[in-house]
Amino acid sequence: MADIGANGDRENFKVVGGQGNPPGVVSYAMATGLAKYGVDYVLPNMLHAKFLHSPYANAKVAGINDAKARALSGVVDILTWEDEDIRDLVPRCFDFLSDRPWLDNIADRSGAEVAAIVVAEDEETCEEALRLLEIEWEMLPHVTDLREGNKLGAPVVRPGEDAKPTFWNYLSAEGQPPKRGNTYTVVDIRGDVCEAFGEAENLIEYDLRLPPFATRSPNPLASVAWWEKHPYTGEEPNLYIEGSVRWRDALSLTYKMPMEKIYMEGLFMGGKYCDWSLRRCQEVTPLLAKRYGRPVRCADRREHMYDFLMNERFIQMKVAFTKDGLITAIDDYSLCDKGGRGSAPFGHVGDLSQGPYKTTKCKSVRQKMEVVDSNRGVMWLSGQHCPFNWDTITTGIYIIAEQLGKDPIDIARLNLHGPTSPDDTNPVPSFDKCVEAGKKLMDWNWHPSGAKQLEDGRMHGACFRYQMTPRHSMKERHSKLEYRDGVVHMPSRGPIIGTYAVEANAMVVAEELGIPYEDVSIDFDAVAAHCIYGGGSDGTVGPAWAMKECVQILKELLKEAAIDYAENPGKPNSSFHNVGQHFPTPGPFRGCGPEELEVADGRVFLKSEPSKGILISEVTHKNIVATHSAWPPPGVWVTGNMGEILDLMNTEYCEVAVDAETGEVEILRFGIAADVGKILRRTSLESQIDQAVFFSQGCQQFEDMFYDPKTGVLLNTNMADYKVPGMLDVPIVEKSILETRAGNGVYGANGMSHCITNTNMLIIAIHNAAGVWVEPPATPDKVLKALGKA
Amino acid sequence: MPETIELNINGIAKQLDAAPNRTLHDALQYQMGLTGAKHMCDRGACGSCTVIMDGRPVLSCSILVCECEGKAIETIEGIAADPKWKPLVDAYCKWDAMQCGYCTPGFLTTAKALIDRSPNPSEQDCREALAGNICMCGTYPRHATAILEAARNMNSEGGGLNG
Repeated sequence: MADIGANGDRENFKVVGGQGNPPGVVSYAMATGLAKYGVDYVLPNMLHAKFLHSPYANAKVAGINDAKARALSGVVDILTWEDEDIRDLVPRCFDFLSDRPWLDNIADRSGAEVAAIVVAEDEETCEEALRLLEIEWEMLPHVTDLREGNKLGAPVVRPGEDAKPTFWNYLSAEGQPPKRGNTYTVVDIRGDVCEAFGEAENLIEYDLRLPPFATRSPNPLASVAWWEKHPYTGEEPNLYIEGSVRWRDALSLTYKMPMEKIYMEGLFMGGKYCDWSLRRCQEVTPLLAKRYGRPVRCADRREHMYDFLMNERFIQMKVAFTKDGLITAIDDYSLCDKGGRGSAPFGHVGDLSQGPYKTTKCKSVRQKMEVVDSNRGVMWLSGQHCPFNWDTITTGIYIIAEQLGKDPIDIARLNLHGPTSPDDTNPVPSFDKCVEAGKKLMDWNWHPSGAKQLEDGRMHGACFRYQMTPRHSMKERHSKLEYRDGVVHMPSRGPIIGTYAVEANAMVVAEELGIPYEDVSIDFDAVAAHCIYGGGSDGTVGPAWAMKECVQILKELLKEAAIDYAENPGKPNSSFHNVGQHFPTPGPFRGCGPEELEVADGRVFLKSEPSKGILISEVTHKNIVATHSAWPPPGVWVTGNMGEILDLMNTEYCEVAVDAETGEVEILRFGIAADVGKILRRTSLESQIDQAVFFSQGCQQFEDMFYDPKTGVLLNTNMADYKVPGMLDVPIVEKSILETRAGNGVYGANGMSHCITNTNMLIIAIHNAAGVWVEPPATPDKVLKALGKA
Repeated sequence: MPETIELNINGIAKQLDAAPNRTLHDALQYQMGLTGAKHMCDRGACGSCTVIMDGRPVLSCSILVCECEGKAIETIEGIAADPKWKPLVDAYCKWDAMQCGYCTPGFLTTAKALIDRSPNPSEQDCREALAGNICMCGTYPRHATAILEAARNMNSEGGGLNG
C-alpha cells in the first residue's frame, strides 16, 4: 500500500525523518519535574478518597459495620455499593466495561476495589478507616491456574455469566458453543485441516506458554476533581478534573455533562502502552467532589496496579510441513486467560482468525481457543501484548529449521505468501530488504542447536523473527491549523504519553509548508479536536496523515488570502486601534487566481515566476483557520484481514550466551531490521523499538506473577518482588531502519511498537544454545533445571 | 520528637511538620508543593522519588521527615533552577532521554549527583549510577548518552565542574 493522500510520495524531506530531530515540546517540563500527573495534584481544602480493596481472590462482601470507622476523627463519609449515586454510575470508557456494575460487593481478584469508599481529610485517615471497617467476607471459589480452572468439575467462578467473547465486528458470538464451567470455546477453521494433516510429509508438535506481564503505569493512577461555577456567567458548576487525561468524552457520558463544561488541563498521562482505560479512582472523584462541595483526590497504590498488559496463554501446536519446510497444515489450540470482569478481548479471541498464519501460504488452519474465566487480573484494553499470537509461528519456523538443518530465515521466506494476497507467490520486497539489512547488521551466521560455544565456555544461541508493520489505528481524525499573526498554530490536546506524536504531526506541517519546525507553534489546548488517539508510534502516523491533508486546505486558504490582501490591503488610516498588529507588504498577486499560485519552501509565489512571491509569514494580517475531518485510508489490518496483504515487514535477531554452570542468560546482541515505510521523528521511533524490546526481555527473563495456590492472592505486588529490567539488564538494541514508503500512514509510514514485542525470542535462542526448552521467564534456576542440573 | 524540624531545601531554610510517620516525599508534595520527586513504588525500589541529601542521592519515599533535621535537600526543582545544570537538562531533552516522563526527574537527580562526584563519568559509571532507577518505558539506552554529553559540555564551559 502507500500514502494515497496529498504529497504521499514526497521526496527531499527537510524536516521529517532528519537525523537531529528537535527536542520534545514538553521535554523540559518532564525533565525538570514541572510536568504534573494526576497523583501530583494537591488543592486547598482537598478531601481524599480510598477504595476498599479485596484481600481475597474471589469474595463477596455480605455486610459492613462502619461504626468504628465513622467515629474516627477526620472521616467525612463512607459510601457503599448500595449508595444511590454509586449505583447510577456507568463506566463509559469502552463498551466491554459496561457489563459490570461500576462498584458492587463482589471482588473477583485480589486487590480489586470492592464495596466501599472512604472519604476523609487525609490519606492516612482513609487508610486507618479502611482498617477499622468490619467486613463480613464470604469467600468464593477462585481460579488462578488456568489449567485447573478449565477442568471438568472445577469450581465455577462466575456462575450465571455466559456472554460469549467477541471481538467487535471481527468475531461474532454467533455459532459459538455454550459456555462450559469457566470455559468458553471458540473455533476458527480454514480449509480442510484433516485432509492436510493426513497428507503430511512431516509433523511437529510443540507447546508454548505466553507469560503474562503486568500493567506498568509508572504513575499511580489518580484523579483530583472539583466543581466551580463558571467565572463569568455564574452558570451551573463546571467540572474540573485532573488525572483522567484525554477522557473528557467518557466523563461527559458518565456524568451526563456537556463536554464544554468539563475542564481538564493536564497533558501528562504517564506510560500507558495501550492500556487506555480509566480506573475507578479516575472516574469517582467528580461524584464525590459534587457531593461534599470540596475538591477530592483518589489515588491507587502500587500494589493495586498489577493487572495485565498481556494475558497468560498455554498453546499446543501441531504443524505439518514438506521436506523443504513449507507448512501445509496448522492446528493451534490455546488455553487463554479471559481475565477478571470487564477485561477486553485482546489477548484471547481478538487474536483469532487473523495474524501470523495468514501471512503464510498455508491454507489449512484450525484455531481452537478455550477462554477461561479467572481471578487473576484485568486486561484493561489491548496492553503491550504480542498481537495475534505471532510467537507460535516464530517457534514453528525455528523447529522446522532445526529439523531440516536450515536457516529459519529461509524457512520464513519459503512460507510467506506474496504481497498482494494469499495466492500471490511472489517474494515480499519489504521482507527481503529487512532480511538483507538484518543479516548485515548482525553478521548473521546461523548454526544448529548446541553447535556453537563461545571462548569463555558459554553456549551461543540465536533466534530470528518476522512480523508485519501494520497501521491499525482507524479513528476519525480531526485536524485544525490556525494562521495568526503570520504564524501557523497547531492546536492539540495531546495527551503526552511519551511517543512524541504531537511533535511528529508538527514536523509534517512544517514539511508541507516548507517552514522550519520551530516556526510551527504547538498550542496545547485541553478542548482542541486534534488528539493522538491510538497511542504509540501507530497513533502518530494516522493523525499525521490527516494533518497533512489539513495543510493542503490551509495552503489553498493562504493562496486566497494572499490574493485578497494584495487587492484589499485594508490597512486602517489610524494605527491607534491596531497597536502591535503587523500589516505586511502585499504580494504581487493582484488579479491572480489561486490556481496561478503555489505554496512551498515557506513562500507563496507565482507558478509562472517563482521569484515573485512572499514569505508565508507575510501573506496577510488576517486570521485563517483550516480544518479537516476524515478517516485515514484503511490499513492492512482492515483491507488484508491482518496478514493477507503484506506491505511493510520487520525482522528481529537475538543472540544469547547461556552459562550452563550458573544458568545465567546474557543477551549478547539484539538487532532490529525494520521497514517503517518512512521515518517521521527518528529518536521517538528508536525509543519505541527500545521499549518493545524492554517489554519482551522483561517477560522472558524477569517478570513473573506468583499466586498463593490456597487463597489465589497475587503475592508479589511490589517493585522489589516483581522485577522489571533495569539499566544494567537491557541490551543495546542495534537498528537498521528501512523506508520503502509502502505503508498507508503519512508518507507511507506505519507504526512499530506492538509488532516488535514478543514473548519467546530469548526462549528460542536459549534452545538454540543449549538444546532445552525453558518456560519463561528464563531465570537461572529454570535454566539449570532444564539442563538437569537443579 | 520535635513537632517541626528545620532544614534547607534548594538553598532556602524551611520548617516542616515532622509527624513521626511522614515521609520526606509526602512533605515535599503536601507541604512544599514540590512534585518533581515522583511517587512510584513507595518502598525504595524505583528511584523516582530521588532527592539529594547532603550531597548523596536518597529515596524520599523511604526517608522520614524527622530524619532530615539540619539537612540540605536538593530536589529536581532546585537543580533545574540552577543555571549550572542547564546542560544536563538540555542534554536530556535533546536526546529524548524520556518517554512518558514520570521517572525522568529521578534519573536526572541521580545523574546530577553522579556528575557532582565524578565530573568525567564513563558510560559504565552512568549505567551503574542509574541502576537503581526504574523506567517503565525502557528508555535506558538514552540516559548515558545524555549524561556524557552534559558532562562534556559542562567541563568545556569555563571550567564547569572542575572549576
